[in-house]
Amino acid sequence: MAKVYNWQIGREMDYPFEGHRPQKQFAMVFDTNKCIACQTCTVACKTTWTPGRGQEYMYWNNVETKPYGFYPLGWDVRILEAHGVQDMSGPVYTGKTLFDAAPTGEVILGYLPEDIDYAHPNLGEDDCAGTMPQGAHLQLPHMQWMFYLPRICNHCTYPACLAACPRQSIYKRPEDGIVLLDQSRCRGYRECVRGCPYKKTYFNAITRVSEKCIGCYPAIEQGRQTQCTIACIGKIRLQGFLGKHDAPDEDNPMDYIVFVRKLALPLYPQFGLEPNTYYIPPVHVPPEFLRQMFGWGVDAAVALYRKIQEDKKLLAALTLFGSTPHIIHYFRVDGDDAVGYDAAEKELVRVPLHEPLVIREAYDRAHDAYRTNIT
Amino acid sequence: MKRQRLGILGVAVAAVLPVWTSGQQVAEIVAFTVPGTNPIVDPHAPLWRDCRPVDVTLLPQTIVVPQKPDAAVRQLSVRAAHNANWLAFRLEWVDPTRSDQLVLDNFGDQVAVELPVDPHGPAPSPMMGNPGGRVNIMQWRAAFQRDIDRGPPTVQSLYPNAWADIYPDQVLSVSDARAYTGALGVENPISRAAASPVLDQMAEGWGTMTVKPDQYAVGRGVWSDGRWAVVITRPLVSDDLNGPRLAQGDRTVVAFAVWEGGNREVGSRKSWSTWVPLVIGSVDVRKPEAGERRRR
Repeated sequence: MAKVYNWQIGREMDYPFEGHRPQKQFAMVFDTNKCIACQTCTVACKTTWTPGRGQEYMYWNNVETKPYGFYPLGWDVRILEAHGVQDMSGPVYTGKTLFDAAPTGEVILGYLPEDIDYAHPNLGEDDCAGTMPQGAHLQLPHMQWMFYLPRICNHCTYPACLAACPRQSIYKRPEDGIVLLDQSRCRGYRECVRGCPYKKTYFNAITRVSEKCIGCYPAIEQGRQTQCTIACIGKIRLQGFLGKHDAPDEDNPMDYIVFVRKLALPLYPQFGLEPNTYYIPPVHVPPEFLRQMFGWGVDAAVALYRKIQEDKKLLAALTLFGSTPHIIHYFRVDGDDAVGYDAAEKELVRVPLHEPLVIREAYDRAHDAYRTNIT
Repeated sequence: MKRQRLGILGVAVAAVLPVWTSGQQVAEIVAFTVPGTNPIVDPHAPLWRDCRPVDVTLLPQTIVVPQKPDAAVRQLSVRAAHNANWLAFRLEWVDPTRSDQLVLDNFGDQVAVELPVDPHGPAPSPMMGNPGGRVNIMQWRAAFQRDIDRGPPTVQSLYPNAWADIYPDQVLSVSDARAYTGALGVENPISRAAASPVLDQMAEGWGTMTVKPDQYAVGRGVWSDGRWAVVITRPLVSDDLNGPRLAQGDRTVVAFAVWEGGNREVGSRKSWSTWVPLVIGSVDVRKPEAGERRRR
């Protein structure tokens, strides 16, 4: 095992291969506070990449309801249970990674799901965390909580799928950090399915080999954000590239949100894979739950999000979500506008930080009609 | 004897292992001489009654990760025969579960025969060879046997109640729909049986298994009464640079591996043997016992 540095857990850790960070890292930020689980991202991905035979229940992108939604069934609670209780106080993680916890004869602590576990992608959808007592009525804040968790492959810096494959059929591209599974080389051992704690590699029973999210690399190579990102009607996503964790570029919206302001956090950092999709945590969810899911930075991230109206540059970065199909490499605040630029620093998009306020009178003189409140 | 050409040649990644210089001496396997010139593929052919079986002990693979320490199959009954052109192994083992349909949590039964590519040099590592010590691994797959006997899998054969509105191949041209066929579209030889249930492969160490572009091995497997009987056959002599050239009287070694799909064995999760001496119809094997029929 080589020693590699994982900035998310603040320490070195063991990994089967030496650590070589890519020139830039494919990454995505999700604002969970804005996701409504409409599944437009899921359908955009499905129709683009997985409409084929053997891919019927294969969702490279899915959106599940937490705490009771899972795809595949129980994916995170099963690996969390096997992992055991770990110290999540941070900022240096002292517990075991899944590589540390590997049983004898295995590369990583994992499990192989049952086929039937994929049969109900929307199981638990919209279920909230607890029951409502008799006679309950809506209060604010709500008496129970739930939130939506959109997921794609994390294109991890230290992928478990890659580490688990005995044939090195999975590789991480040096130019953008996208993790790909070679369809010519795979022999269908399903070690990647067993090893990936996020269960984002899938076995195709018709082709008899495994498949996974390809980070929309043909689009990425043309400077275009992923299908799931540009299809998102809630504009909850931003896809771009992370630079260096120890020398972030404040003009790169991804670096700014993740490294500088630490508003968006990795999913289950304690697993030790350094996943590269980042979540702005839902502000109304109990912090104990969020700490287990997103790590020790959640309290600060929630506090920061609650004051984002006062934080012009951070607000500008979030305003650029869903504003253009092109990858935003740089951004800045120009007066009351957020401006996004491409890799050549050419302006891509300009978005006002605040929507102009328009008041429409209830009585419409032109049509001699009263408007009802239909928003 | 070239049977077909496959489109894919994987990249071999070599692991460093020492050349295998000594092996545990177990019973010799003798490939008895039988008449004929055609491939020997039928596991129930009468000729096998004349060939003495040798019980080869198998052990779980516990050298590299991942492992399956409780690998199920511990004994393989091996018979060998050759005719003028072909060398054949008949392999029989107990397997109460016939596993020949693959879905995520169903793994296939498999058996493999390994021969050094250079049968006359120092034997390579029995563990899939070593850099410079190339081995020929012929792997029979129950799923491939089913492909040949009953047709390739369909969504309906695997999931009888499944329904999909439309597939790309129903509305697009063949070339446009190819992008949606994954490994089938890039002719991954693991995806489907070609003309034979046996994959002819080569390796030079862990993780280097490569399906040869030219396929020479054939065979057939039959499951009945909780036992698999499988024949794997290859030409004694061919223009295959990645297979041994053998002749009557030659001595070499052979090793075996079995995967019990019902026990979720796949890849390196398997049971295997070390090298076993192999004699191609040698004249110095022991004499037939009284009343025993044997042809050399």
